[in-house]
Amino acid sequence: MIEFTSTPIMLTLILGAVGVLIPVINVARKEKGSSVYGVIALGALLAAIGFVVYQILTKHVTPSAIFSSNVLVDDTFGSFFAIAMLIVGIMTTVGSFNYMRGRANPAVYYSLILLSSIGMILIAYSTDLVMLFIAWELMSIPTYVLAGYLKKDPSSNEAAIKYFLFGALSSGIIIYGISIAYGLTGSTNIEQVIVGFSKLGPDMMPLAILAVGMFIAGFGFKIGLVPFHMWLPDAYEGSPPTIAALLAAGTKKAGFAAVLRVIIMGAIALNLHWAFALAVIAIVTMTVGNLAAIKQRNLTRMLAYSSIGQAGYILIGLSVAPISPIGIQASLFHILNHSVMKAAAFIAVAGIVTTLGVTHIEKIKGLGKRMPITALGLTISLLALAGVPPLNGFWSKLMLFGSAIDAGHTLSWAPYLAVAGVLNSALSLAYYGWIIRKMYFEEGESNKRLKEPKSVIAVMIFSIIFIVGIGVYPDPVIEFAKSAVPIMSGLPSIH
Amino acid sequence: MAILPFDLVSGLGDLRVWAIWILPFAAALIIPAFGKVSKRSTGWVAVAFALASAISAVTLLPGALGNHEIHNQIPWISSIGIKAGVLADPLAVIMSNVVAWISFLIFVYSTGYMKGDKDLTRFFFWMAFFLGSMQLIVLSDNFLQLFFGWEGVGLASYALVGFWYKDKKKDHVGVEGRHVLGLMDYYSPTHSGMKAFIMTKVGDVMMLAGMFLIFAFAGTFGFRELTANTSWATAMAAQHLLIPAAVLLFGGAIGKSAQFPLNEWLLEAMTGPTAVSALIHAATMVKAGVFLVARLAPLFFALAAIGINMDQFFEIIAWVGAITALLLATQGMVHPEIKKVLAYSTGSQIGYMMMALGVAGLSKQFVDGYTAGFFHLISHAMFKASLFMAAGSILHIVGSRFMTDMGGLRKYMKKTYAFMWAAGLGLMGAPFITTGFWSKDAIFAAVYQSGNTWAIPIFAIAVITAVITAFYTTRMIGLVFFGNKSKHVEDMEKEGHHVHEASPSMWVPYGILAVLTIGVGVMGLAFEHQIHDLFVNYLGSTFGIKSSVETVAMGSQPLLGGFLEGVNPVALMASLAAFAIGFGLGYVFYIGRFVDPVKFVNSNIFFYALHKFFLNRWYLNALIYWGFVVAPLYVARGLYKYFENFVLEGFNVVPEKTMAGGARIMQATQTGVSQSYLYIFGVGILIVVFLLLI
Repeated sequence: MIEFTSTPIMLTLILGAVGVLIPVINVARKEKGSSVYGVIALGALLAAIGFVVYQILTKHVTPSAIFSSNVLVDDTFGSFFAIAMLIVGIMTTVGSFNYMRGRANPAVYYSLILLSSIGMILIAYSTDLVMLFIAWELMSIPTYVLAGYLKKDPSSNEAAIKYFLFGALSSGIIIYGISIAYGLTGSTNIEQVIVGFSKLGPDMMPLAILAVGMFIAGFGFKIGLVPFHMWLPDAYEGSPPTIAALLAAGTKKAGFAAVLRVIIMGAIALNLHWAFALAVIAIVTMTVGNLAAIKQRNLTRMLAYSSIGQAGYILIGLSVAPISPIGIQASLFHILNHSVMKAAAFIAVAGIVTTLGVTHIEKIKGLGKRMPITALGLTISLLALAGVPPLNGFWSKLMLFGSAIDAGHTLSWAPYLAVAGVLNSALSLAYYGWIIRKMYFEEGESNKRLKEPKSVIAVMIFSIIFIVGIGVYPDPVIEFAKSAVPIMSGLPSIH
Repeated sequence: MAILPFDLVSGLGDLRVWAIWILPFAAALIIPAFGKVSKRSTGWVAVAFALASAISAVTLLPGALGNHEIHNQIPWISSIGIKAGVLADPLAVIMSNVVAWISFLIFVYSTGYMKGDKDLTRFFFWMAFFLGSMQLIVLSDNFLQLFFGWEGVGLASYALVGFWYKDKKKDHVGVEGRHVLGLMDYYSPTHSGMKAFIMTKVGDVMMLAGMFLIFAFAGTFGFRELTANTSWATAMAAQHLLIPAAVLLFGGAIGKSAQFPLNEWLLEAMTGPTAVSALIHAATMVKAGVFLVARLAPLFFALAAIGINMDQFFEIIAWVGAITALLLATQGMVHPEIKKVLAYSTGSQIGYMMMALGVAGLSKQFVDGYTAGFFHLISHAMFKASLFMAAGSILHIVGSRFMTDMGGLRKYMKKTYAFMWAAGLGLMGAPFITTGFWSKDAIFAAVYQSGNTWAIPIFAIAVITAVITAFYTTRMIGLVFFGNKSKHVEDMEKEGHHVHEASPSMWVPYGILAVLTIGVGVMGLAFEHQIHDLFVNYLGSTFGIKSSVETVAMGSQPLLGGFLEGVNPVALMASLAAFAIGFGLGYVFYIGRFVDPVKFVNSNIFFYALHKFFLNRWYLNALIYWGFVVAPLYVARGLYKYFENFVLEGFNVVPEKTMAGGARIMQATQTGVSQSYLYIFGVGILIVVFLLLI
């Protein structure tokens, strides 16, 4: 049995208890006002992140990513994702303070964010397919509700419906994948499944491949891999921008956690030539995401496509993982960076929506003068997304492309991944630069300084410090990512 | 686990060294917060932190004088093996002290000079940032970290030169309406800031290229690592890349130190507040280039031991220095603006330092030239900071940047007058009592004794420049303090603005430095020997550069009963003669005023032409503008008109249409209809499984 004081259990307890408690307080409390629920949720999230950090510093956490006969495991891999998710959760919660003021049902809103966070965290700690699936649903279901949170707004409803439809489909596909795996190996424990797969005869192999394909499709939906991305721009655009931040920065990363736990480890064990498949998806994903983003006029939609493009970059590291030792490390690093950058960008948009009520790119002209801090935060996060040095995005992209070039010793086509990545980064600067240009170099309707939402300012300042700080001194995070990388040599193999 | 902070803390080692550059940055960080409370407090925060930084620097001095080296490293980006670190060897510690103390005095002066300005917070933020960046350059143990400071200095100078961004008329430099080759010789602060930024950037790019070239071979940016294992140099020399890489690095120094041909930004940099000019010229910006050369020169010189000849590199340094020294000194003779005269003089004096460092590499006694260059850096820092601050006071009180608007001020600003003489004598190299004399003399001796083919021409240039230097300094003091009050001053007095002495927070800092110029000057020779001995040990132990014990005194006889022991007689005579001629001429024209300089220049077509040539800056600035600003703009417009409109937009639509088309296809697939999304999802699964099977 896993210990009661292990990280995943304690996080579930902290976040779950508070998440359930908030709506109860709402019922008992007569006064109106949304901030109190936000503050409670923030407290829980801070306590959770504090606990994770404490566990790591006191070395209660097993390094690397490991298998276990339990359903959950307390390893650094999970903790790495837990920290990333909790940062996103905190940024979303703080960023929502002003956005939620005067809107209906704040208690439920914050409660759902907490519950969804539990799901995301548990995915990263899961070592059993069924546990992973339950965590997956625990993460997804609250976000369906949150996407449709503006119930009077048709586009929010559309977003929720589309998101739910595809969520249901992908859940079904994941279940299908799990059932094939169980049928072939008689277990749902990930380690047992991988060992079982590696002992399969050649006649059963196509079924195993079908299972992996199902996992790629099912998890890829959440990540926004092309061609499973179609729902994503519609859903992000319709949802409240704060929830778009949670989806793009949080749930998407949970998808990567699942991919790493199941597909990468499994595929390495299967010794499958899956690198090529993932590489093709990576290139298509980043190109489609960036190309489509250029044409967008709506900020949230543009950021949604940009997040598709970013998923493509992350996939580079995963596809060369068995060949290049820094592949997964680079991906993890970029996952953490992207969480903060993308969340910051979406929260900045939320700030703009709260203050000006617009998301169209022509309407943000002269924002540099009207909302200087928000504009600065948005600019820095966009530059970091584009990978401009010396911001954090530069280092993680450098490592990603470096891993692709490194893999070129074994796979002749791997360096083309880096080429595609660099070209795409240049392409992405076109629309990132466009937003920055609109904010700073074009005259707006007025130059009067507006009152910026305090909570958004707080998030902006945090992100600027994070982005620039990691940019100047990336080492600790790179080391942390390194310590969370699964040890490949320890995996079973059919050799 | 490596993320624990313990490794970090133990790697930091001696915290004093880190404090020197981190404290000013910390000041920059908190200054905006103080600015919210009280604008005036920002100045005192900057002063306090600068003092703290200077004190931590001075505590390192005893160790450094004993040739003790502190080298601490912490992991920075360990995935590619890059470490951050501080290197406090004697060179860095002395430089760091010069920078710290002079900057501290300038900060004190700024609190008086900038009193009442609306943007004090911005001003002191950038000043502190400037100081931090400079100390980062000085104390870095590797190129990459140095480059961060290098760019920080560039950024701060851009912000401070263009500090008065409203471009008011009084903040411009140059004479309105004057044209050189059809281009206005009149620049606004914002223009000047941009000019400084772009011109130094040219050097920075070269430096970056040189840095990475060396990194590509050596796999490290660290100075000590490069010294310890020189196999990279052998590999580079084999491919004929070593000298190009070294020259590229020197390109960075050329830009930052305003050496020929990237010298022109320095003059327009005078649009900044005078305190900034003092900081740029005495302590921070331009000295960074000299420091870089001083950092690198022993490294490259020591390569001689493994049979790599770097003479070409050192010849380039020496000649760039010599040309700049003469070029800028001649222009300093004729310009009417006091700050510009001082700026020309800075460029010219930095040229001396470069010359000395270059000659050092060409002679057998490396340490002689090296000491001379560095000694001149120290003495120049003292008297130039003092002169700039004094000039700032005068500007402040007279309200004009033209020396023709001053005149006869010696009765009203007695202290400033005295201090300006003291510091000015330092610049002129007044014999025996000023630091400037000894350091310049050391340079002369080093050049003269180097035994290189170029020694005599360079020596001649150095002496001529010294004559000119003495002349223009005398001219400046004469124009400002002697003669009758100018019309401008009389008009001012009629309006009730009386000329008066500057406030103590202003005159005390430059007074201290002026007194030091003389005070250290009296003991100049002993001081020089001290530095010389230190560098003999330092260069010997760190780089393995041997020097014979009989150093300065090669073949000279004891003069004046041993007082001048070790001084080269030819160099000494040359210094004395240069001072006498330059000062004498200056006295005739501007102090005694026996001959009217204007009439004199107009009397003779040759002098007239020469005067105009110097005043128009040898046409160098105009040519640079024509070549790199005006012409490219014409070409760009032409290209736009004839090439882009017709060719690109007319025929070559392929890239644009492809991108737009691609984007449109993406848009078209995004129909918004869920059924089609589901269909694509299904097809996607098939494609993925297919991809996995191949």
